[in-house]
Amino acid sequence: MKFSSIKLQVAAGTVALGLSSTTAIAQPIEVQWWHAMNGVLNERVDELVKNFNASNDKYKVVATNKGNYDEVINGTIAAYRAKRPPHIVQIYERGFMTMLLSDAIVPVHELMEKNGHKVDWNDLIKPVAGFYSYKGKLAAMPFNSSSPILFYNKDQFKKAGFEKPAETWGEFEKQLYAIKKSGAAECGTALATDYHWSMIENYSAINDQPYATKANGYEGLDAEFVYNKTLVVPQVARLKRWLDDGVLQIAGQGFSPEQLFTSGTCATYFASTAAHSGIERNSKIAWSATFLPWEEGRQPKNSTIGGAALWAIKGHKPEEEKAVAAFFDFLAKPETQLWWHKVTGYVPLTNKAYELAKAEGYYKESPTREIAVQQLSRGTPSENSLGFHFGNFTQAMFAQREEVEALFTGKKNAQQAMDDAAKRGNEILRQYERLNKGKY
Amino acid sequence: MVVLAHEPGLKQAHFRKVGLPALLLLPQLLILLFFFFIPSIRALAQAFLLSDPFGATVHFVWFDNFKALFDSESYRNSIWVTIWFTLAQNVVTIVIASILAFATDRVVRFQSAYKGIILLPYAIAPVVAGVLWAFMFNPSVGPVAFFIKSFGIRWDPNLNGSDAMLLVVLAASWKHICYDYIFLVAGLLAVPKSLMEAAAVDGAGPIKRFLQIAVPLLGPTLFFLMTMNFVYGFFETFAIIDAVTHGGPAGATNILVYKVYQDGFINLDLGSSAAQSVLLMTFALLLTLLQFKYIERKVNYGI
Repeated sequence: MKFSSIKLQVAAGTVALGLSSTTAIAQPIEVQWWHAMNGVLNERVDELVKNFNASNDKYKVVATNKGNYDEVINGTIAAYRAKRPPHIVQIYERGFMTMLLSDAIVPVHELMEKNGHKVDWNDLIKPVAGFYSYKGKLAAMPFNSSSPILFYNKDQFKKAGFEKPAETWGEFEKQLYAIKKSGAAECGTALATDYHWSMIENYSAINDQPYATKANGYEGLDAEFVYNKTLVVPQVARLKRWLDDGVLQIAGQGFSPEQLFTSGTCATYFASTAAHSGIERNSKIAWSATFLPWEEGRQPKNSTIGGAALWAIKGHKPEEEKAVAAFFDFLAKPETQLWWHKVTGYVPLTNKAYELAKAEGYYKESPTREIAVQQLSRGTPSENSLGFHFGNFTQAMFAQREEVEALFTGKKNAQQAMDDAAKRGNEILRQYERLNKGKY
Repeated sequence: MVVLAHEPGLKQAHFRKVGLPALLLLPQLLILLFFFFIPSIRALAQAFLLSDPFGATVHFVWFDNFKALFDSESYRNSIWVTIWFTLAQNVVTIVIASILAFATDRVVRFQSAYKGIILLPYAIAPVVAGVLWAFMFNPSVGPVAFFIKSFGIRWDPNLNGSDAMLLVVLAASWKHICYDYIFLVAGLLAVPKSLMEAAAVDGAGPIKRFLQIAVPLLGPTLFFLMTMNFVYGFFETFAIIDAVTHGGPAGATNILVYKVYQDGFINLDLGSSAAQSVLLMTFALLLTLLQFKYIERKVNYGI
């Protein structure tokens, strides 16, 4: 009896102590951030958050890894439906429309304005801002953005008598066949897992081909895919030809295509600029990188981005929203951008950060890191190259991939495959339009 | 199991009052309620809706989700793929498990060691198993693929649908053989030694004894395993498909349960995914009913 009362007193004492300590030192306001950055990138995110938390004593961001992009968006949906969502979520670029029309978010420009942060949005690199903007205003905070570039094996090109990859697809194709024929390499190029992004979507943007009507979905939910009537058809036919001739290799499950390149089996690899770190770490080959090719006689446009952005979930307390805004403000700083660009290989999001990297001489020591930035800011984006605003874009993309596989396995020819892909994609777009009529 | 049914211990009359049995059943009923009935009812409701994943916009669309599925070529393809996959997986699993069970039953030395080794694959997570199979049969780097190709056989599960199907059937069966094996070993223990010995004395070789004595007497076990294999093929092979082929190439291994996952979890098309899971459950129920109606009649339970 006596013993337990002592225990009680001790307990009460600790509670009192706890209370007094919270009142004495103002606890920072904590906000939750769910992200999908794994491995080394996860460590970078932790470092980023640590830097932000150390930079101020009012706000604290807690970053939690919730698996891959699919797991993060599903986790967010579940948490939102259970009315316990995090404050910030990292969602892949294809989820833009899903998030925008979800009624679950606060658009970034609104959030920043409301909380008195002045951010120079015009300084953002155009295709980055363009992708994440709705009616000219930023809806999500761009975070990790990349763009595909062309990595190549210098020795194998030299052995076949070339200095570097040609600028146009026609010449580049001849080079790959020559490399294969001369025995410089067993295969010309390895098919990346996200080939739909580099070889089809970015191909359309760079060659200024419409991917869909309504300015690739920017002007309305009633957009329709039209890539089955553009240069995309001969482009996928080209890939099939390469595959049949052994110029293109598919790594398949259980093996990464990047290894086909870094082991010297294939002479080139179309991949995100974020692949830099993996290639630098794993390859014993002499490699370099260059711009994606374009079709002869065309003025190449900018490429488009991939990656993810941060969304502010609505329904949180005003002071927590302030914390989110302060964190976004920190992210937009050129110094933060420069650091992130250097340690991760993603592109800097603002021209200021890019200038800073140039002034520092960063691209003198790592010239290939500049390619994606230059490619993204090449020329003025047209409505075919600004980005893609399609509802259920992931679903349409998987339908397209399945049709490309039907072409690869020889079940359909290029025109049939792309016709069927566009048809299936349009059914998906119509379902999205039916659901969200009047909201966009 | 067969023996237990004859024992008096489990008869209904033992519980005179409702209270205790209800209490004993409660945990299981609660689990069923929360993990089966409530989700099933919600899936059924969702199947009639077109909804935004966040739940902001919801339209009631009657049977549109089902209609869209039957109009879709890829869904019809998925039904056929599932039928071929489960049938092949069932046959491969039962045949190999029976042979192994009969073989280890006859072995005198190191019997338990063999049994242990055969059971090992069951302890491996499906995803890990899938990745291993995918790697071993990968046309660019897989050792088994090189072996196959050394005979001049074309092998490429990335580009050839039948190769991919063969690969997932093998991987799924390999993972499930152990399960069937345990039951068959137990079943063989129940086969009276005297019958086997009498047959041996009469001059029946091991194969004949297996086919004419063991198999008919194992009828109930085989029937049970067949049902379980279908359930396994229908619902639990998703991780293997995910790791080995992602349902490709061009949907050649896209079984129904994988499509449910892909449309629901990756594509966030909840209405269609719910409609698919309702259909999948209906198919599984129908199949089980058919099995009980037509096959169980031929099974002899009395030993």
